[in-house]
Amino acid sequence: MTTHPLPARPRPKQPDGTARTDKSKAKRRPRRRSRYAFTIPALIFLAAFSLFPLLQLVRMSFSDVTSATLNGAWPFVGLANYVAGFESGVTGAALTRTALFVVVVTVVGMVMGLLAAIALRTRGHWSNALLAVMVFAWALPPVVNGSVWKFLLADDGLVNTIARATGVTETALPFLYDQYWALGAVAFVNSWAVIPFNALVFRAALLNIEPEVFEAVALDGASRWQEVRHIMIPSVRPTMLVLLVLTIVYGFRSFDFIYVMTFGGPGDATNTLPFLGYLQAFSRFQFGLGASTSVVAVLVVLVLAVLYARSIHREESE
Amino acid sequence: MNTAAGPVNIAVKVLLTLLYGVPLLWILLTSLKDSSDVFGAETALIFEPQITSYADALNGALFSALGQSVIIAGGTTVLTLCIAIPAGYGLARTRGLPVSIGLGLLIALQMLPQTANVIPLFQLFGDWGLLDSVLGVILADTALLTPFAIILLRPFFRAVPHQLEEAAAIDGAPAFRTFASVVLPVARNGVATTGTLVFLLAWGEFLYAVNFFLSPGTYPLSALLAQQVSAFGIDWPGLMALAVLTSIPVLIVYSITYRLLRDGLTVGAVK
Repeated sequence: MTTHPLPARPRPKQPDGTARTDKSKAKRRPRRRSRYAFTIPALIFLAAFSLFPLLQLVRMSFSDVTSATLNGAWPFVGLANYVAGFESGVTGAALTRTALFVVVVTVVGMVMGLLAAIALRTRGHWSNALLAVMVFAWALPPVVNGSVWKFLLADDGLVNTIARATGVTETALPFLYDQYWALGAVAFVNSWAVIPFNALVFRAALLNIEPEVFEAVALDGASRWQEVRHIMIPSVRPTMLVLLVLTIVYGFRSFDFIYVMTFGGPGDATNTLPFLGYLQAFSRFQFGLGASTSVVAVLVVLVLAVLYARSIHREESE
Repeated sequence: MNTAAGPVNIAVKVLLTLLYGVPLLWILLTSLKDSSDVFGAETALIFEPQITSYADALNGALFSALGQSVIIAGGTTVLTLCIAIPAGYGLARTRGLPVSIGLGLLIALQMLPQTANVIPLFQLFGDWGLLDSVLGVILADTALLTPFAIILLRPFFRAVPHQLEEAAAIDGAPAFRTFASVVLPVARNGVATTGTLVFLLAWGEFLYAVNFFLSPGTYPLSALLAQQVSAFGIDWPGLMALAVLTSIPVLIVYSITYRLLRDGLTVGAVK
């Protein structure tokens, strides 16, 4: 399951000008300031268990740390871990794979999410039941979904059985054993897991369209495609940018389906950057190297976070 | 509005029904099969249902894993809500540069790859004596989910009218009591949605559990499943039985909160 809260949008239907009068009221009432106190527990907790570990990760990435020295002294080695990662070509290869992976997840997740939202916009038993099933699939732990897909895509699994029965292929398709198939298969399952969430968000935007708009264009004799092109797509556009960044981030930080379905293999075919960092630290016990790979991944995320913040800002001002 | 379903519309719905219906059905069918029927084409749909996989799976180890899952997911939900509810309210009722910085930081934190967090946490928990303990996993899960929970809760608190609080303040109630007795009940939908999502995410979390618990004997269900599915020579019916058992609590939570998830997550949080 994946999820990201979406930004708050202005609520046009609510008769609250509260946001606007905030400042003047705050001046009149000094007690407003006391609300900062409510954030103190979170500040302390996150400083100890999120920010401090992050600093530790950075420090580790500049040190020679193995399982033997993990809880001892860390010799400072400067950029050696980063240099080793890039010079061996491992980090660069992982970056390329990650980019491919993210592109598949994003394109399939966005396109299918929008298609699903449009198809499920109409009410009826089928749409309601299908939406319920999709949301349930999304709510299931990734480790459950990953196990099922690993089973479906096995040599004797359902997908290959059907492919053989219909004559598509003679021998089993190597979904999880061939380096290209494997990256594609895991990326597909990742997008499968994100489609329901994207469909829900798109659907909410579509449900906001006034029914009169559809009635009006129906009178003008608009075709169904014109409806999609000129009414639905413009109405989801403000959400689209935010959702796009979220889907990219989701694809980038994904590790659970990789862990369950291929564990980075075959060879290193499904080692995306975040997963590579994990393997280096916990399978090869090169904590310094793993930390440096993870810091590169964190930097990528920080760039995406800035993009996200800007896209929220743009959506809120639209 | 063109309410009648067009051919494209129907094709999309058929495709989605196959994509989402079949895998869910398949877990259930396989979990009821004998090992010898699992991969047979002729036994794909017609077979003698067995509950041996369940009987085999339902042993002491499973119940202790179930117990661990309940403690970890429950503990994480309580702790996360205790921290995130006041923080979400605090950030909803304050403005200015510190708030913007705080929100930006939360966005960045919730986007970090979990694989980057697990490396330093493993080392620090080793120092702090938190490895191989339920508390360690709860603390790590809470740190993972708190930024998400705060960001999700904040708009729900922003939607609570100021007038309600002002009325209470005139009565002389201190800030915390106003919050607990006036604001919190109004924002209960947001708390329920957030609590549900945090519970579901903590229930499925396995990376911290696999790495912080030093032996599979103390794994929660999700970690047990992750460990068994990456092993060689997978016993598929047994694994699918474990998958079904892991999913049952999710199904319960989901059927109670489906409307919240469907509408609260988008309509509530987006608007």
